[in-house]
Amino acid sequence: MPDLIYHGVGAGLVGMALYRAATCADLLTRILALNVLAVGIAAVLVAAAYRGSDVPPDAVPHAFVLTGIVVLVAVTAALLALAERLERDGDAGRDNADE
Amino acid sequence: MMTVFDVMLAATILWTAWTALTAPDRTAAIAAFLVFGLFVGLSWVRLGAPDVAMAEAAIGSGLTGALLLRASRGMTPPAPTRVTAPHRAAAVITAAGVAGVLAWAVLVLPEAAVVYDPLVDANIGDSGVSNPVTAVLLNFRAWDTLLELVVLLAALLLVAALRPIRAARMADLGPLYPPFLRIMAPLSIFLSAHLLWLGTSDPGGAFQAGAVLCGGLLALFFGGTLKTDGPDVMPLWALAVMGVVVFVGAGLLAEALTGTLLEYPDGADKAWILTIESALTLSIGATLLLLFSGLRQGGARP
Amino acid sequence: MTLLELFGYACLCGGAAFLLLAALGLWRFSDLYARLHALTKADTAGVALVALGAGCLDGRLVAIIPLGLTAILVAVSGATTGHLIASAALGEDEGEDENEEAAQP
Repeated sequence: MPDLIYHGVGAGLVGMALYRAATCADLLTRILALNVLAVGIAAVLVAAAYRGSDVPPDAVPHAFVLTGIVVLVAVTAALLALAERLERDGDAGRDNADE
Repeated sequence: MMTVFDVMLAATILWTAWTALTAPDRTAAIAAFLVFGLFVGLSWVRLGAPDVAMAEAAIGSGLTGALLLRASRGMTPPAPTRVTAPHRAAAVITAAGVAGVLAWAVLVLPEAAVVYDPLVDANIGDSGVSNPVTAVLLNFRAWDTLLELVVLLAALLLVAALRPIRAARMADLGPLYPPFLRIMAPLSIFLSAHLLWLGTSDPGGAFQAGAVLCGGLLALFFGGTLKTDGPDVMPLWALAVMGVVVFVGAGLLAEALTGTLLEYPDGADKAWILTIESALTLSIGATLLLLFSGLRQGGARP
Repeated sequence: MTLLELFGYACLCGGAAFLLLAALGLWRFSDLYARLHALTKADTAGVALVALGAGCLDGRLVAIIPLGLTAILVAVSGATTGHLIASAALGEDEGEDENEEAAQP
């Protein structure tokens, strides 16, 4: 029973993140939406691994989610460095392009 | 009774996620994201996944929140985006459609989709450890973990190439900070080693231990003791690269000994796994610290 | 129910009450310093009482070690963070007062 609830939570998180990423042009909000999306998918995976309250859960989706979390933090750090650099140098680049 | 708790937790997760995505103040949004990550970790404890919950609370919520806060300081405040009605309708339909299909696909999942449980149960005796998640990560699917480390290193290289030239000014943190460091730094090393050793039989492992180590290193970095500009950064770089090097070296050595890449020799699985995990812990701690602090452009020249 | 279990449940309820009061204070107080005052009670008293209660319910003495370490770590980091936030806010407020005084003719 708990896994059904958290399946729904994961699907809801995916929907919210997709909607927000599609309607907001701010870079930081989009990176936040990407994180929420990844956590939503991870929630669906962990809920799919649940086998009942007495039986040990399936370990392979847990390993997938662990790998996914670490990859997500690496991608977020890279994206944030790119976004910061865009903000700093983007105005200079645009000025050069207009000339 | 626990269903009531689950429903309340689910509602809280959805609400904090919505606040994180739509709050007009950036700091409030990032704080909501931090809380959202912790609540999701709590829901995973309910689902019997304490390893993943630990990793999510430390790395997915804590470190990501710190990275976002640091980046938001250097970016302009968000300007409200004006979205036309057809655009908004299309976004709503797409998002609701994907979410609905995901929820439906999970509900119609056939009951016989249990493939990995018997495989893991049958082989865990040979794997050298008794925690199934560690066995899957470091023995059955060690190839995936190796590639994940390479992804971490690639992201670190990208961050190193993009960081600004000026070094960050560290604020003076007051007289209460050095005693705090004297407690926290040794404890974080001790806790990280304990989590690493515990990961062979109980929830724990290399990633959680690496995250705790990164926390201790971050505390030292904020106090100004650990500097990442200039030649002091070389040991940290060496630690960050060491993880991939040790893992690849172990895989090739295993191939030389048994004929298959990353197939550990029989009977010595636990020793191999612990060696690789120790290198992983140090490497992940150093990599996460360098990802947060950034590096001076131009390398180690003062 | 033994006396130890009863004591454990009482500690759990007390800890939960502290945490609830801290959340209430965070919501209803209007000043940063008052909110910090409420939050630090959660970090120290709330978590320590919950840890004590959980240890009593578990029954074994060895369970106190990780629980006690958790309570100590949360208390130390919570106290330090509260101090840092308060001194940063105090520095900002003093800077504002100085600017106001300098702006007055």
